[in-house]
Order: sequence, then structure tokens, then C-alpha cells
Amino acid sequence: MMSTKAFTLVSAVGWELLAGDKERVHVECVECCGKNLYVGTRDCVVHHFLLEERALPTGTATFSAAKQLHRHLGFRKPVNELRAASALNRLLVLCDNSITLVNMMSLEPVPSGARIKGAAALALNENPVNGDPFCVEVCIISVKRRTIQLFLVYEDRVQIVREVSTPEQPLAVAVDGDFLCLALTTQYIILNYNTGFSQDLFPYCSEEKRPIVKRIGRQEFLLAGPGGLGMFATVAGISQRAPVHWSENVIGAAICFPYVIALDDEFITVHSMLDQQQKQTLPFKEGHILQDFEALQVMYRRILQQAGFIQFAQLQFLEAKELFRSGQLDVRELISLYPFLLPTSSSFTRSHPPLHEYADLNQLTQGDQDKMAKCKRFLMSYLNEVRSTEVANGYKEDIDTALLKLYAEADHDSLLDLLVTENSCLLTDSAAWLEKHNKYFALGLLYHYNNQDAAAVQLWVNIVNGDIHDSTRSDLYEYVVDFLTYSLDQELVWKYADWVLQKSEEVGVQVFTKRPLDEQQNSFNPDSVITCLKKYPKALVKYLEHLVIDRSLQKEEYHTQLALLYLDEVLRQKSGTSSKAAEASEIQLKLQHLLQKSDLYRVHLLIDRIRGAGLPMESAILHGKLEEHEEALRILVHELRDFAAAEDYCLWRSEGRDPPYRQRLFHTLLAMYLQPGPTAPELAVAATDLLNHHATDFDAARVLPLLPGTWSVQLLHPFLAGAVRNSVHARRTAQVALGLARSENLIYKYDKMKLKGSSVQLSDKKLCQMCQNPFCEPVFVRYPNGGLVHTHCAASRHTNPSAPGPGART
Amino acid sequence: MRKPDGKIVLLGDMNVGKTSLLQRYMERRFPDTVSTVGGAFYLKPWRSYNISIWDTAGREQFHGLGSMYCRGAVAVILIYDVNHPQSLLELEDRFLGLTDTASTDCLFAIVGNKVDLVEAGAADSREKEGHGPGTAGGGGGGSPKVPKPVQLEDAVALYNKILKYKMLDEKDVPAAEQMCFETSAKTGYNVDLLFETLFDMVVPVILRQRAQGPPQTVDVTSCKTPRRTRSGCCS
Repeated sequence: MMSTKAFTLVSAVGWELLAGDKERVHVECVECCGKNLYVGTRDCVVHHFLLEERALPTGTATFSAAKQLHRHLGFRKPVNELRAASALNRLLVLCDNSITLVNMMSLEPVPSGARIKGAAALALNENPVNGDPFCVEVCIISVKRRTIQLFLVYEDRVQIVREVSTPEQPLAVAVDGDFLCLALTTQYIILNYNTGFSQDLFPYCSEEKRPIVKRIGRQEFLLAGPGGLGMFATVAGISQRAPVHWSENVIGAAICFPYVIALDDEFITVHSMLDQQQKQTLPFKEGHILQDFEALQVMYRRILQQAGFIQFAQLQFLEAKELFRSGQLDVRELISLYPFLLPTSSSFTRSHPPLHEYADLNQLTQGDQDKMAKCKRFLMSYLNEVRSTEVANGYKEDIDTALLKLYAEADHDSLLDLLVTENSCLLTDSAAWLEKHNKYFALGLLYHYNNQDAAAVQLWVNIVNGDIHDSTRSDLYEYVVDFLTYSLDQELVWKYADWVLQKSEEVGVQVFTKRPLDEQQNSFNPDSVITCLKKYPKALVKYLEHLVIDRSLQKEEYHTQLALLYLDEVLRQKSGTSSKAAEASEIQLKLQHLLQKSDLYRVHLLIDRIRGAGLPMESAILHGKLEEHEEALRILVHELRDFAAAEDYCLWRSEGRDPPYRQRLFHTLLAMYLQPGPTAPELAVAATDLLNHHATDFDAARVLPLLPGTWSVQLLHPFLAGAVRNSVHARRTAQVALGLARSENLIYKYDKMKLKGSSVQLSDKKLCQMCQNPFCEPVFVRYPNGGLVHTHCAASRHTNPSAPGPGART
Repeated sequence: MRKPDGKIVLLGDMNVGKTSLLQRYMERRFPDTVSTVGGAFYLKPWRSYNISIWDTAGREQFHGLGSMYCRGAVAVILIYDVNHPQSLLELEDRFLGLTDTASTDCLFAIVGNKVDLVEAGAADSREKEGHGPGTAGGGGGGSPKVPKPVQLEDAVALYNKILKYKMLDEKDVPAAEQMCFETSAKTGYNVDLLFETLFDMVVPVILRQRAQGPPQTVDVTSCKTPRRTRSGCCS
């Protein structure tokens, strides 16, 4: 399984750079931060190097180190540990049980002289809890027995935040958030320094072997276990990964996800954290410190990328994709294999040395069209997957433009999805490509996305008119109408208003009727729109219906105009053939409805127009509007002989009016029914129905004398019963009201007696509550609360002296 | 990495066949195994759940890791060798204590492995003396003259002891007959039955634990909540 070559050993700093003219130098610790490499030695010197990585044509890298400076710290003790805090530009130096803050560049101690004293070892919290980016959380093993201390380290000061004691002497520590992972004398534990809760992990004999504690990620640590095991443990004390198997004499461990690297006296071993297998062994004798270094990952990524291209060339797309992803490939490397896909403006050049040997896809597939198509489909899916991830950062334009080109060429449905959602397609490049592939509808979308709606609409209009050909949408006309409806470009809407209306009056008018309301008040106000619609009567009717019915605009001319348009249409249909009877009645119903419901149209104008047109129902309604009920009812009863309509008429006209008005209407109708004439029998039936259905709408006393003596009681039973019940009810209600009024009256009488019962005495001592002067005359005003004031005082201020309210006087 | 919904841990003395049992079930084969170092685990999808099964090292050297492996386990499989009475005793003496960190409603199964040696031995003993050497995991080999040094009843007795040790009521847990198995990793005898019976029993435990919330809080809530609800529905 040791086939992977994830890591290569590279010499970074030569011996002579460190030792200088000295015989020997002993390295105690190293720290790497970006390109800065720090080395601490036993003779109390910190060295600073700048690393420069250079890629070799073979694909490996070489490092050259440029020595910046070194500084002696002024003790006779070794430099035990170095930790860089790049956010603060500080290097933390542990030497002689004291942590000094020095400048990362000058290696000068901070002027404030801030330091942490009494530290035996330190660890930085890579998952800090305090949220301040300019502050580093540092945990130290104190020289005090069984004590851990936590500090906040700022640019030039340190602050202790907590001190916790441990059950045994701690030997090594790592931190993650609130959790400390500690190697104690006989075991490893997790200690939450916030709650004090401690969780045993497993026993370990620190006297036999030096413990190792490494944070590997959020809430997870790697520990040296018995038998050379690298044990994983979460803060909950659970092992979620199987252990890795190191040699018994492991000295140090480092993490480079997904690898665990361990150092012993002969080798550096590399294990995968995912399957626990050993992946690589590098012979390395007499190593004694192991420290993480990001540059290793750069090389590793490059290897993954190269592997990805090898898989790609064999059309092993799934594997290639995985390698590209884990190798964090610059997608443009892949896009650039496909001719013409990268925008002309792209600044991309392939990495050098090249990741693969192919000039382009043609060479790679050797002209095999089938392979070519497969490669294109792969790129489509790959770009689609990565375009919204961080992989696309900085290259969004290149990715989206390439994707658009692929979609357009392949006639893929996702082309439209791409263009209607947020995208970074470059206009000129994409437009030329879409035109070339006759994707005019899509081109319109592209123009629209780039705020060129005029160009978009013109293009679509040309498609609808058949000037250019693109069958993407069969309902393009409706689409344009919809587009204009929601377009904020008023000029554009007016420009194409005639075009949409000429295509279809009913559909085209939506441009006005379905607009958002706030716009309909300004540029698209009704008067301008009506002027525009003069030439399109059907559209005009629709628009007026929108104003009158949907928006309930209370303006006489709209209502009148709509009624007249309806009327014209009714008359036109009446004069034509009778084949359209059904339709005629529909528009007639609309007219009747409008005439009934609206109170705004000009009634006289309509009556004039309707006269002699043979529209009795409409004229009845109009007469009703003029309160000419007799005439209206006459038309309904004698001309139309529609008794139900007559009854409805009474109900309609008496809506919201007082009961006597309603009674009057019903009596008028009844009288009309009871008139002697040739049709009397039929009317008599209508009369009885009316009485029986609307017993409460009649004054029974007035009805009875009108009825012919020949009618039987049985015939009018519902009416009579209703009338009697009504009258009895009215009487009883009146009695109750009378009783209540009497008792109310009694209460007032009682109040009055009470108020009159007491007397008021005036003397010199009584003062007016307003002016505080005595009363000189036997006249006064008394407020209900008992306060006495002069009459003139009360008149000057019509307020109660102590309580607001009407000055009820006695 | 898929996150397991529940954990099952295999415990037992060295050479009882923990790794072989697990490989027989997961990989359908019986390879020569070497002594396990540290531990290893498989992820087994069962219905809609992912169950992680941890193989542990039986060697004394790795004994200290057992508690950590068992932490939060929903089931523990205690394995002995039917040919070695001592391996059964070890379960009680050394391994039972490790399960203190398992979840409170952890299930226990007791498995006597290597029954193939007994049967083969019993059959062979009439014709031949002894039998071929076993594999690295199964070489121990009991006396072929005695049909089965450890009887199933011994395992049942241990199971009942465990219940007492855990202070569990027999009525609340599966009966001993359901939880004691005799298997052979070599022939595959009862291996599927063992694991699949256990998986089916573990699913309700997982569901119950989910309903109760994270395991860290079980200590407090699991004693209080049931009492409260009981009084609630009786009143």
C-alpha cells in the first residue's frame, strides 16, 4: 500500500548557514510561518530565514533559504520552543521558563517588555474562543506543580485569563476551543477549562516514553499510545478513527491532512488518517524535531493535479474529478485544453512546468469525435459543480463563459438556467458565440443580464416576426409581453406597445394591466394608456375593466366609457346575425352588471343611447338609478313580464336604505300587480308570491285593504302568519324598551333627589375654590364634586376646579 | 466520512478470534490474521443506519485503550474461545470493567468462538490423534478428547452475572438465550446470525438515545425523565 509519494524530503537550510564559524550548533526547535523559517538553538540564538520555493522541471521543488538575521537572547539557556503569531507579527519564544514576545522581522523584544513567566511548555489555541483576531490564546504548562495557565497575548501585552490545576503533573498540552488535551504522568485526559469537567482518555506511562499530544482538527487530538500507536480521541473521549501504527520509538508527529507524519530515529513515516494505512516511508536518521510546514502541501497538490490529468486523458472522469478537487486545480488549466473556451480576454497561462503533455483536446483525443463529446460532457458537469464553490474564486468569468459556450454548442437546456441566474459570462465573447450557434433567445437573456434590455427585446421581436430563426421558445410572444410588463424601462415599453397590441389586443394589453401598481400611477397613468389604446377597442375594454373592476377607480369617465363600449358591442352584436347569441348575452351581462354596481357613469347619456334599442332590462336598471321606480317596475312587469327580476329590483334598490323606503318599493310593486287589466290572473299569482316571500317588507295594515275580497286566507297564509308574528314581535320589543326606559328614568330621579337633599351653607370662611376670595353675594356655582365658586369665576373658566368635565351646576 | 449512528465493540482475550469473526462477517472470508495492534473498525450500513464495529486488541499491552473504545457503545460483544475456559474467565475479570464507559442501556452479547475445533476434534479423535494446527488466531486448540471444554450454560451464567454487575433487571434486557452464541469464524457458523441479531436489537437503542439527546447528558436526564413521565400519566 506504500505506493503514494505524497512527500519529498527537501533540504531547506544548509549547515553552514546555521553554524557560521562555530564548530557545532544544536537545533532545539523550528517554526515555519508562510515563507518565514525560525530556528532556535541550544546556545540561545534565534535564526530567521526566508524560504523561496522553486519548482524544478521534474515536478519537484527546491528551496533556497536566505538568512535574514539571528539574535542572541541574552541567556545561557537553550531556546525551547518557537511559535509564530502572524496576526500580531510576533514570535513567541520560550527560553529559560519565560515566553518573550519578539518582532517577527527584527526579532527585537516588544518595547513593553511583556512576557509570560514560569512556563515549562506552551501551546497555541488554533480554534480560539475569544473572537478577537488581534489576540492569540496561549496555554502554558506552569513551573508551578500541577498547574496549567491560559493567557491572551496581544501585540505588546499579555493577560492571564485562567489557571487550572490538574490531578497529576502535566507533561504535554494541546488546545482546541475550551478543551485542553493533556498528557499527565500516568494518563491522557481531556480537560474543559471552562467547566472544569475532566474526561479520562487512556493510561500511558510517561516515564517509559515521552508523550505526544497534537491537535488534528476541531475537537480531535492525536496522542502517542502504548505499543507505538497513534491514537485519535475526540474531546468527548471517543475514538472515531482507528489508530495508526508507528514504531515504538516515535519522537514526534505532525498533521498534514489527510496524512499523519511521524518521526523516529530512522524514518519519517506517513500514514493516511482515512484508512490508517502507512503510505510512505522516508529514511531520515537522527532527526529530532518534526514540525508542520505548508509547502509540503503545495507539492502534494501538484502531484494530485498531474495524476488527475493522467486519469482525464484515459477518460477516467470520476477519478480525475476527485484528483482535481483534492489537488485544488486551477480550473482554467482544464478549460484551456478545450479550444476557444477561455475568453479572449482571459489572462491565463498554463502553469510551468506543464501539468501534462497535451496541447489541446484534439491532440488528446486524436480527433475521435466520440471521445471529444465525452470530454465536453465531463467539463460541463465539472464546471457546473465547481462554479459556485471556492474553486471558482477569481475565475468566475472564465468558468461561466466556458460553460455557456459548452451549453450553447451542445444545445443544452441548462444554457437558459445559466443565463437567468447569477452568472459572470463575459458579454462580447459569449454574444459572438451565441450568435454563431443561432441561440438568439439566449443572446437576448444575456443582453438582459447585462442591462441591455432594448437589444434583448429587439432580438426577440425579430424572432417572433420571423426575421431570424430560433425555436427555443414557442411562446416567445407571451414571453416578450411578460418581460415588458415587468420591465422598468418605460421608454422600451412604450416603444413596443404598438407591436404587442398589433399581435394580440387581448394579450398585449397585459403590458398595462399587469404592471405593478406603483408604476401605473406615474408614467403608465390611465389617461396616457387610454390614449394609446384608442386604436385597439378590445384592448381598451380590457384596460377599462381593469381600472373599473380590478382597481375600483372611482372616476366617472372610465365608468361611462366602459358602459358605452359595452353598449356599442351589444348593439353591434344585436344588429348582426343571431348566431352569436351566447356571446351577446355574455357581454350584455357585463353591461347589466356594470350598470347596476356602478354609481358613477352618466345615466342620462346612457338612457338617451339606449332608447329604442330594445334593451328593456338595461333601461329598467337606468331608471332605477334615477329613482324612477314606477317606470323601472313597469318595464320589468309589463314589458319583460319578469317577476323575479322585479322582486330582485326591489331588493337591489333598497339595499342600504331604511325600512320605510324598502316598504315603499314593495308596495309600489304590489300595487302594480293588483292593477286591474287583461293579465290580472297572472299578476295575482305574482302578487301572492311576493307577499308570501316578503311578509316582513310590507305594512300588513296597508296591504289588507288592497287585497281582493275573493282571496282565501289559505292562499296568503305565510304572509299573514308572518305579518302577525312581526306585529306581535314589534309590540313586545316596544314593551321591553318602555320598561327599560322607565327604570332608567327612575335611576335619574333618585340621583336628582340625592343631589337636592343636602344644603349648602355660605359663610365668610367659605372661599371660592378658584379665586380664593369669600363669597359676597348669595349666588354661587356648585360643581358635582361639591366645589363652590363664584359665578363669574365659573364663567371665566369653564372647567371643573379639580376635575375636567362639563360644569354641571345646581 | 460518514458519521456512525451507533458503535459496537468486540472485546475478549487475545487469540479468541475477534478479528477473524469480524472479517468473516464483513469480508466473507477467513484469512490468516496477525495479532491486532491497537484497534480497527468497519462501518456497516444497516437499514438506514451506519453502525461502526470496533475490533480491539486482546493483548494486555493495549488493555488501557479498552475504556475509550467502549465509551458510548450501544453494544459490546464479549468473545471467548470454547476450547479455553480461561478465556471465559478473563471476560469477567479483565474485560467487564472496561464496559463501564459504555452507554447505560448498552446490550451485551457473549460469544464462544472456534466451535469448529470442538466438532472436528470430537469427530477426528476416533480416527486420528489431534488435528492440524490452527491459524494464527485459532491455533490454541483445546484437548480433542473433551468435546467442549466450555458449555453454553457457562456463558449464560456469565451473562446473568453481568446483569447483576450492571444492576440490570432481567425483565428489561434480552434473555440470556438470545444473547449467548456459539460461532465459528472459520466455517461461518452462526456468524451472520450473531451480528444481524445484534444489529436489529441495537436499532431501538440508537433511536432511544437520539430521543434522549446527546449521550453526555444521559447521566442526569435518563434517571429523571422516565420518573417524571410515569407520574405524569398515572395522575
